[in-house]
Amino acid sequence: MFNGNLSPVNSSFIAMPPTIPTDKREEETAVPPTSFSRQTNKVRDFFSIPAPIKTLFDLVPVLVYPPNGLPQRAPKPARIPTLYVFSKKEDAATGKPSFNPGCLKWQAFLNIAGINHRLAASNNHASPTGVLPFLLPGASSSNASPDALPIPSSKLVKYAAEHGAHVKEPLNMRYEAYKSLLDHRIRHAWLYTLYLEPLNFNAVAYPLYVSSISTSPFVRASISHQLRAAAEAELLKNSSIIDIDDLYSEADKAFEALSILLGDDPWFFGCDRPTLFDASIFAYTHLLLDDGMEWKEKKLCRALRRRENLVQHRERLLVRYFGG
Amino acid sequence: MASPSSADDLFDNLLKTDAKRLEEEERIAREKERDHAAKAQQRLKELIVDNSTLPVTISSIRLIGAEKTRRSFLDTLFNPILSANRNRPYTLSEALQEVGSATDKLRRFDIFHDGVSMFVDKPSPTDPSSTPTDIDIYIKATERGRIALKTGTDLGNTEGSAYGNLLWRNIFGGAESFNFNASAGTRTRSAYHGVFDMPISSDPDKRLQVDAVSSATLKPWANHEEVLKGAGAKYGWATNSGTKHSVGYTQTWRQITSLGPNASATVRAEAGDSVKSAISHTWIADRRNHPFIPTDGYLMKTVSEIAGWGPLRGDVAFWKSEMESSKSFAIPIPGIEGDSGVSFTTGFRAGMLYPLPVGFGSTSQPSRINDRFQLGGPTDVRGFKLGGLGPRDGPDAVGGDVFAAGSANLLFPVPRVGKDTPLRFQVFGNAGRLLALKDKGGNVQKSVYSTVAQLADGAPSLSAGVGLVYAHPVARFELNFSLPVVVRTGEEARKGFQFGVGINFLG
Repeated sequence: MFNGNLSPVNSSFIAMPPTIPTDKREEETAVPPTSFSRQTNKVRDFFSIPAPIKTLFDLVPVLVYPPNGLPQRAPKPARIPTLYVFSKKEDAATGKPSFNPGCLKWQAFLNIAGINHRLAASNNHASPTGVLPFLLPGASSSNASPDALPIPSSKLVKYAAEHGAHVKEPLNMRYEAYKSLLDHRIRHAWLYTLYLEPLNFNAVAYPLYVSSISTSPFVRASISHQLRAAAEAELLKNSSIIDIDDLYSEADKAFEALSILLGDDPWFFGCDRPTLFDASIFAYTHLLLDDGMEWKEKKLCRALRRRENLVQHRERLLVRYFGG
Repeated sequence: MASPSSADDLFDNLLKTDAKRLEEEERIAREKERDHAAKAQQRLKELIVDNSTLPVTISSIRLIGAEKTRRSFLDTLFNPILSANRNRPYTLSEALQEVGSATDKLRRFDIFHDGVSMFVDKPSPTDPSSTPTDIDIYIKATERGRIALKTGTDLGNTEGSAYGNLLWRNIFGGAESFNFNASAGTRTRSAYHGVFDMPISSDPDKRLQVDAVSSATLKPWANHEEVLKGAGAKYGWATNSGTKHSVGYTQTWRQITSLGPNASATVRAEAGDSVKSAISHTWIADRRNHPFIPTDGYLMKTVSEIAGWGPLRGDVAFWKSEMESSKSFAIPIPGIEGDSGVSFTTGFRAGMLYPLPVGFGSTSQPSRINDRFQLGGPTDVRGFKLGGLGPRDGPDAVGGDVFAAGSANLLFPVPRVGKDTPLRFQVFGNAGRLLALKDKGGNVQKSVYSTVAQLADGAPSLSAGVGLVYAHPVARFELNFSLPVVVRTGEEARKGFQFGVGINFLG
């Protein structure tokens, strides 16, 4: 409570005695006591609770009632894990695709892997790594604490494998090369078109990432600035200037290369089931083709629409794993 | 006639600087001066007593040594007591009392060094403009330095911190001050706080404050860090009966961030930004005879806050009320004359958060973790960990919307040390209940009523113990041994010793 207290101190002088594993205890009795072990025993005796006080401690509390109810904003406990993503509240409730490609990639991955989960609309502050998405395991019956730790996106493949999902990583020499096409060229063009293209920033990014956070004009201005500065810094990491035409044409070439790679196959690298790579492609193609995003400057969207097989690939994933 | 030899002696004596003798002489001189001052004081007293009903008129008040202080500021303070501005003549004692209280106000602005002195003089009767009843008042004061810088470290409160403080006094010559404080520590990661403070109409009891804050604080009981940036204005005044009010507006951007790895789903749902725009009112009536170990009197305090509603806007909306009271009695012990040093203090604290719609909307906003109450800890409900009472999600104290807590403490002097020391033994029992509002299908009123009713559901969480209290001039220290008697599952009680430092204890 805020009542002008100095920081109150909370420290215990009586610690619970360290529980000694039984096997260790046996070992100790077997070995003749050295002066060191005698000393440590003394220390232990000093810190352990004397028997009468222990009995007293065991007597209290005299009365234990059931737990207090949680506040209204607390999420309902679920047995299934929760994936924290950028999303609108109502979209999260119905499992609609996230509007953030980083989140959508893993959402699609979990859907493909068949890991039953629910979505929570969230923001980067909630994440253990500072970046969404992450998965919070469901409330298990045992409630073992290591099980409840959040799983960052980098560990989701392992998590899926441990939970009986069959997701194959494509074993292809060219896989890394194509992955970098996506992680650099397409991502850079995406960053530019979403955050630095003023028409799109105002029409698309602002309502999704800025005005949803706070109603305060001051906070909105501050967050807008942060977002745009971060996007710019990211782009300037790779080149000394931001060449718009170059960004778009590189992305166009990347789409072309991916289109050729996919060919007439349903999934990339000729797999019979979609892989994480399909999910990462879908993360961008879906958002660029989704009419709900209401892009104003559509250069990047047009570049993608020209590749018919990529458009169909997105449709295929959407219908199969997002129910249309 | 002095002999030549004795003249030589005298000469030698004059040349020799005998330190001892000089000291002796100085001492005598000082004593003389003190005697003189005391006599003068005595004479003045007698004079005043003898002439207390003498009609006088204050023709002028002169403040000596106030170069940096504004004339208009001093005018507001002293003009009302000048006889020219009054329609009734003074008696001498009245006049001196008025001037005395004005001087006292002057002292409380904290712009002069201690030892503001006052002289009374009669103007020369040859001055044609003076009347025979006229007196002139001279006040002598020394202005304090305009800028004071202070740095230091604090260690102890389970946190180590370092701070720097800048105080700029009397900025515009009207006792306006600016205080900037920067600190960094293990729990308060960083805090910057700047306050501009000015008295209104030269009254030290009426103050206008404008402040800005930026801080980052760890909240280990709920696995997160709260980052604040805010600004506000506050007006404080004292009533004639000695109670204090303050009304203020603040706007704060709060960020729940840097969650711990174990943070529960409830805390994760709270992560992110919110803006609170709120008007608050605080009222305090403190009639205790000691701030830390009172043996008589009572304290009443209420804090009310309305946030987000109507034109206030922001991201959160609620009405929040909190009240606190404590009452102390001295307990006479048969066989001991006068004050036995034994006293009994009871304390009670309660609060409620009533959700409201933001702006002119119609759906109420459920409360957030940074607006909800926390209860438990060594300074309120002892025998529980910090935030140890109330709703919990796993390791996190997620706070509640309604609470009540009470305590009863019996304090008695430590044998052999005596009642005149700031040390006491105490026997205490304290109890509390902290509840979150239940969802009643969006009916806020119903949910508040039913939650308040639930406070009386079963015994409150309760603990009792004994301890040692030490009232240091700046804070109260307690070392207690306590045991929980009644708890709710999940509530974090502490069996054994607990150490508390604070300025505001529950009872």
